[in-house]
Amino acid sequence: MTRRIIAPLVGITVFLGLWEMLVRAFDVRKFILRPPSVAVRHLWNFRGDFASAAWITIQHAGFGLALALSISLVVGAAMASSPFLEHAVQPVLTLVQVAPWFAYVTSIVLWLGAGNPPAVFLVTLVCTPAFVFATVDGMRSVEPATLELLHSVDATRWEVMRRLRLPAAAPTLFTTARFSIGLALAAAYYVEGANFSNEGIGAIGRRAATQPSGSDALWAAVFAMAILGVTGLLVLSIIQRTALHWHAAQRSQPG
Amino acid sequence: MSRIVVSDLTKVYGDLDVIDPLTLDIASGSFVSLIGPSGCGKTTLMRVIAGLEPASGGKVTVDGAQPADARSHKRVAMVPQQPGLLPWRTVKGNARLLLDVNRRVNPADAADPVELLREVGLGQFLAAFPHELSGGMQQRVALVRALALNAPLLVMDEPFASLDEISRAEMRGLLNHLVEGKGVTVLFITHSIAEAVALSDRVLVSSPRPSRIIADITIDLPRPRAADVEDDPRFVALCADVRHSLHGGMR
Repeated sequence: MTRRIIAPLVGITVFLGLWEMLVRAFDVRKFILRPPSVAVRHLWNFRGDFASAAWITIQHAGFGLALALSISLVVGAAMASSPFLEHAVQPVLTLVQVAPWFAYVTSIVLWLGAGNPPAVFLVTLVCTPAFVFATVDGMRSVEPATLELLHSVDATRWEVMRRLRLPAAAPTLFTTARFSIGLALAAAYYVEGANFSNEGIGAIGRRAATQPSGSDALWAAVFAMAILGVTGLLVLSIIQRTALHWHAAQRSQPG
Repeated sequence: MSRIVVSDLTKVYGDLDVIDPLTLDIASGSFVSLIGPSGCGKTTLMRVIAGLEPASGGKVTVDGAQPADARSHKRVAMVPQQPGLLPWRTVKGNARLLLDVNRRVNPADAADPVELLREVGLGQFLAAFPHELSGGMQQRVALVRALALNAPLLVMDEPFASLDEISRAEMRGLLNHLVEGKGVTVLFITHSIAEAVALSDRVLVSSPRPSRIIADITIDLPRPRAADVEDDPRFVALCADVRHSLHGGMR
């Protein structure tokens, strides 16, 4: 337990210390990089603004992730039970996944207007493919013998889904969620910056990037996003450890 | 109780003949083992009788009904080779699994899984998860899961194959104790001659694929079977009979 808390703290402290030292030692120009202490001080001085902006960003990323997961469970379940559908949908999802979403952010904003809709839409769009693939893989991972056992008592498709395929998919879905938190926050930040409603940490970042003296605010926004990401991962880890206590990956590792 | 009648059953997969025309009559309440070389079609025969696979030809009835019909009414309970326990369910939850699905056809006289778990010595492990159990304990849960249905037909596909010899001997005793005198018809697939003789009323010996019954040996050892039945000279002689039939069929 001590190792789990101490080790990451040591890692982060060393990283931030090196950053601080190098920026000061090499006198890096203000508009390129700021020392962490300056960014944190700015974050603290404007904590009220950042807190309300963070709440907006959390909602964009959170709703988008929840929608992506919901869509993925339905689409993934259908794909897991129909190879034809899987082969039809897989290339489309791959296309969505590899297309540079930041290239069409402006089109989405112009289409959906200012405010929450384009942010939630983009987060949902970029997070859905990975969740769908995880759902299909997880649902397909059930042992054929266990599947046959349920068929031996004439279980319905829904029962097989609920009692077998869905719980079996949970570990891969949690793993995907860990990666998707970063992606969701990045997408939310980007749309907020391209938006006209001036809400969210992305809007603070965009304003700062266009002002000559905005580098402190810009790096404070970067730190705020990092804090959101780490907090999201911590919350997810706690949920994962509770929900998947039965899974081999969640049990104590030796050594 | 369930009588199984198999008439001229055939099963083919593409060009592969798995079961030759096969005829068989298994009396209600009897314990019948099917033994044969690997890949001879034993499991396929079991799956057809359990209603999990259609026959290519011939006819199979379980108590006069189509196997699929018997299956959909939970009149067939299955114990697979691997326990197949769900890792997210407790021992109690796993033992209840087959009762929890397709509930509307649950038999009125379904057994209490908790009572059965106590009977097989797992009363202290009701809240444990499968990863906390040994292989033998997991297989006991799988056995309870099937017996909880109180189905008249129990089909078992090499259920003790992955266990060590001590656990296998324990499971044999336990299975005898749980089904003896209950009127359950048991179709037991195994590779172990001693296991087949120790448990059964009849041992059917299958040829290599395509499967056909090359010997039908009555096991007339007294019931209930004592723990030391394997020391009985008659047991040794019956094992020799089965072994000779098995080896004869493979020549």
